[in-house]
This record gives sequence, structure tokens and C-alpha cells, in this order.
Amino acid sequence: MTPRIIVANLSVRLKSFYRERSAMFFTFAFPVILVLVFGTIFTKPEHLNFDLPVQDNSRSEGSARLLEMLASGDAFTVTPVPVAVDPTQYAREHGLNLLLVIPKDFEALQKQRVVGPNAGVPMPLEYVYDPSSTAVDTKIRLLDTIVAAANQKATGSPPAIKLVAQSILSERYRFIEFFVPGIIAMAIMTSCLSNALNMNAELRQKGILRKLATTPITRADWLASSIVYQLILSVISTAAILLVSFIVFDVRLHIGIWLPLILVVEVIAFVGIGMLLTPFAKEAESASAVANAFLFPMMFLSGTFFPVEMMPAFLQTFAKLLPLYYVNEALRAAMIFVDDAATLRLFGVTTAFAAVVFVAGTFRTRWDKDL
Amino acid sequence: MPNTESVIVVDKLCKHYGALRAVDNISFSVKSGEVFAFLGPNGAGKSTTAEVIETIRVPTSGTVTVLGMDVTKRKAEVVRRIGVLPQNFSSFDRITVHETLQYYASVFGCRADIDALMDLTHLRDKSAALFNTLSGGLKQRLGIAVALVSDPEIIFLDEPTTGLDPHARRQVWEVLKGLKGRGKTVFLTTHYMEEAELLADTVAIISNGRIVAIDSPARLTEEHAEQTRLTLKSIDPAAAVSIRKMGFSPILKDDDSLWVPVKTPEDVRRILEELDRSGLALGGIDVRKPNLEEVFLKLTAEAPAARSQDRAA
Repeated sequence: MTPRIIVANLSVRLKSFYRERSAMFFTFAFPVILVLVFGTIFTKPEHLNFDLPVQDNSRSEGSARLLEMLASGDAFTVTPVPVAVDPTQYAREHGLNLLLVIPKDFEALQKQRVVGPNAGVPMPLEYVYDPSSTAVDTKIRLLDTIVAAANQKATGSPPAIKLVAQSILSERYRFIEFFVPGIIAMAIMTSCLSNALNMNAELRQKGILRKLATTPITRADWLASSIVYQLILSVISTAAILLVSFIVFDVRLHIGIWLPLILVVEVIAFVGIGMLLTPFAKEAESASAVANAFLFPMMFLSGTFFPVEMMPAFLQTFAKLLPLYYVNEALRAAMIFVDDAATLRLFGVTTAFAAVVFVAGTFRTRWDKDL
Repeated sequence: MPNTESVIVVDKLCKHYGALRAVDNISFSVKSGEVFAFLGPNGAGKSTTAEVIETIRVPTSGTVTVLGMDVTKRKAEVVRRIGVLPQNFSSFDRITVHETLQYYASVFGCRADIDALMDLTHLRDKSAALFNTLSGGLKQRLGIAVALVSDPEIIFLDEPTTGLDPHARRQVWEVLKGLKGRGKTVFLTTHYMEEAELLADTVAIISNGRIVAIDSPARLTEEHAEQTRLTLKSIDPAAAVSIRKMGFSPILKDDDSLWVPVKTPEDVRRILEELDRSGLALGGIDVRKPNLEEVFLKLTAEAPAARSQDRAA
């Protein structure tokens, strides 16, 4: 390995990267945008607020109390629906996924429930809903919760069971804290795999590899250049993600010695996979297809965006075969839970994988085969 | 002028791709300081041969030595002493001409005089231009400059002017003449006869993986081409009789023209005087000297069809 050649390769690659604006966008801005979008959506779920259209056919004191109770929490903003209209038709025409209907005899039913032959019989409160809506389940659950609270309050006795939360973590973490390490791992994986495949395909297609084959550049020089280049991009990308997360969402993760170690091993692993996949990506078009065939399953099945525990059992087993799963878990163990033992175990698995694919990739890279 | 020392020696070289014999038992040598042109039709095996000598491909059998070193055993040393311009040279799109030369100088670990290289290849005013903004001719000239960056003893040029317009081609030829003037050994792969005739000291013609002729352009022409041909257009067929009586062997063609192989300008003068004396009508004349293209077409056409089948056997 010749440091002079590695520096020369690095210089050319970094200049090319700097002068290619779209590459810079997808490497640095795209993961930051993902953090901003998902962080905005999920950072404070307790502040979720839905519109709740209500047709108050009763217009009584009782219905006014009910409406007040529905509007008192953060969950719903009550919007009135005209009394004269058919609620089903109205919901269809106005694209509403949930519409609550307070019957005309609401006040009378309330009184009958207390005294008379129907005492103790629950009052029906009808709602019209669109089962094809993805958000309606959440709204119905929230409505159920409010109604259950109202029922419990009506009994006049305190609740029999009360849940008390006890976190296994020393601090309270939000979704965004779990999300950021996943995005760091995903950004590095995408950059390493795509760059390795696309660059090799482009160099081969243009005949540059053929020229390089007649120079003193060795396989080791070439691979070392790729790794150092990807490492530089990874450090910049990780710094950008952490900085934006901190500034916008006040995300404070533990940044210790494990983070750079995991980054180095992840870069080696995915550059190695890129080298192994090179024979299947002879042209730029096929390079993108091959990269996507690996990137998408790993992105969605390795616990980057949601926990693998949410997946069916067989997919969980499959996830544990994917290298990105171990990188995600290692980063979370190091940056969130600050659990050195777990980090070491996950780091060990990732390192073993990186060593195997890197050695295999090194042996596979041959100028005469790659021309 | 080339000296007698052989800097490239190819001995019984074979390169097979499965059943296909791309290069089939060829032997030749290249002397120091000469321009050696390797001619052949597309798919004849010239680029494969060049790539084996350049250390890019491993031969199936046979040996190749460059500057006395076996290319399969001492690749690292060989590549430091040769410069290669690959076919359709390309480089990093968003790197300038100056940066490209600097990059290759760093790779070879040499202190190249980049300004002098740009002057030699007439690229000085394009120093800051990105590679992807250069025309085809400029790219090839940059490729030649890159091939020279380590001041190599042997320069391999694989089809250096393919795809260039006539103006750009002549500009590249000027650069190549400059190399020849500096005493560099040049291994030129081309299918342009004019290029080989203009630049080469020695020409090897390869067809179907085998060398069918090797010599200087002049001697190849002398040995394999037809004689200089005098064409007498729209002439009375009776002229053939008088010309035959003069000791020539005229051939009557279908378009009322007569082909007469001649050796000297004196022969042409004598025939024209005879026609003038006999008063035979003459539509026009054409004198065509034999050239390398004729030799090439003749030799590559002669390569038996059976050999093609044999290569794939």
C-alpha cells in the first residue's frame, strides 16, 4: 500500500464529489431531511390533535357538557356539523373519516338511564366512520378513551387500577433519539454501497479502470482509498445529522469512542459488500438496480425506521441476518443506552462480518476481470 | 532511428477466451526507438495482444518480455517504465486537465513537468478545463500527455485517432511525430493505414489472431502490393494490342478502361507516346501508386475462412 497513491486517489474523489452537487445533496442533505421530517412527525405525539366533526341534534345542556368534555383535552378540536343533514352523506361529501352523532333525545336518554325502567342501560352514541382511512383507528381509540373516562367519572368512584410507568433508562427518551442512530447507519450504508457500485460501473464503462490497470495502483491502494474516502463522507454526514438533531429537536446522544469505531467498521463492511457486488453491476443502470436490491430490504427490515419487534417472527429472524441490524443496535447501545457490554457484543458481530466481506471483496477485485 | 536492441519480445503468444483463440501463437519483437504499428481489422486480436504486453491481461501461453522483464512476473516494474494510451481514453469528468496530469504524476511518483507536457500536446490553454468539457481530439491529446507523464521508455497507443475528425487526427499525428523525434519507442495499434504509413518504422499485420506480415511499410508494399497501375479511361480496345507489343500486360476492364501495371514513370511516358502516335482516342488517365492499404486488404482477405473456423474450434 502506498500512501502517496491513496492521497492522490482521495484528492481526485473528493474534488469530483465536491463538484457534483447532486451527489452532495443525496449524501448529506437527504439524511438530514429524513431526520427533520420524521422528527417533526414523531417528536411530540402527545400533542396530536384531530378534528372531530359532531352533529349535535340534541342541543341540550347534556350534549353541551359532552362537547365540552371532548374539547377539553388536546386530542380533539370539535367542529359542528349542521343538524339538518344526513351524517353519512355529509361525511362522504366532505371527506370526513369520523363524525360523531348526538341523538335528538340525548338529554331524555340521560335521565332514563338514572331512573325508570331503563336505569343502568348504556346510552348509545353513534359515530359514522370511514374504515378505509388509516388515521381513523387512532381517532376512535382516543374517543373510546375519553368516553371510558367519562363513564368512570359518572360512577363517582376512583379507578380500581392505575398504571405507573417505570423506564429502564436513566433518562426519558423520545422516538427521535431512537431514530437518529438508525439514520446515521442508513446514510453510511447508502453512501458506501451506492458509491462503490456506481463509481466502479462508471469507471469501467468509460475505460478508466483499463487505464488505471496500467499504472502502479494496486488493489490494496484502490480499496484503501475507497475506505478513507467513504470514512470522510461518513464523518461529515454523521456530524450533520447529529448537529441538526441537536439544534432542531434538542437530541442529546452519548458520543464516545464507540461511535468512530462503529463508523469505521460499518464503512469497511459496506465497501466490502460493494466490491463483492461489482461483478453484477457492469453498467451504471444495473449498478443502481443492484444497489437498490440490497439497500431497500436492509433499510426497512433492519430496524432503522421502526423496531424489528413490530415485524412477524420470520422477518425478525431474517433481520438478524442483515449487517445493518447489528450496526443499528450497536449505535443505539452506545449512543442511547450507554451499555458497553451490549455495544461490544454487537460491535464484535459487525467487525467479524466486515472482515469476512472485506477479505472476500479484496480477492474479488481484479483489474483484468473488471475491465 | 531505431537501434538493434529489442525492447519488446513476444514469443509464441496465445490468448484464448473459452473456445475463441483471440491471439494464436504469434511472435515478434520491437526495437528500441522505433514506431511499431500493429494493424488489423476489428476483432483481429491487436488490442488483446497490446493488453497482454501492457500487463493488463494474462496470456494463455507463450512469453512476453518488456525491457527484458517478463510481464506476468514483474508487472509492477514493467508498468513504471511504460506509458499507455488506451482506446477511447477517458478520465474523471470533473477533474481539470492540469489536475489529471498531477494525479497520474502522483500515482507514478514522478516529478513530471506538467507545463512541458501540456505544451507538447498543445493543451496549455485548456489547463483549467474539466475533462467532460473537452472535445474528442483534446481528450486524446490529454491521454497522450498522461501516457508520457512518467517519461516512459515505451509508449503504447491504442487506436489514438479513432473517432476523431481529420483536423483533430492530424493534430494527434503531429504530437506522435514529436515523440518519434524524441527517440521514444512507440507501439501503435491502429486500423488507419495512412497513420501507419506516415509514422511507422515497422508494420505488423494481424488477422484472425495470427500475424500475416511484418516489415517496414515500404518493403511490405514492395513485396505484397500490385505494381504501380496506369489506367487508360474510355479507350479503344485496340490499344491493348499495341501496348502488349511493348512488353506490358494490359487488362481490359468492363468500363472500357485499360489497366496497365508499370514500374517506372518512363513506362508511363512510353505508353502515352505510343497512344499519341497511333491516334487512338483516350478519355483520361490515372496513375496509382501501390500503398499499405492494398497490402492490408490483400493479406487480410487472404487469411483463409477456415482459420476463422479453426479459431473457434
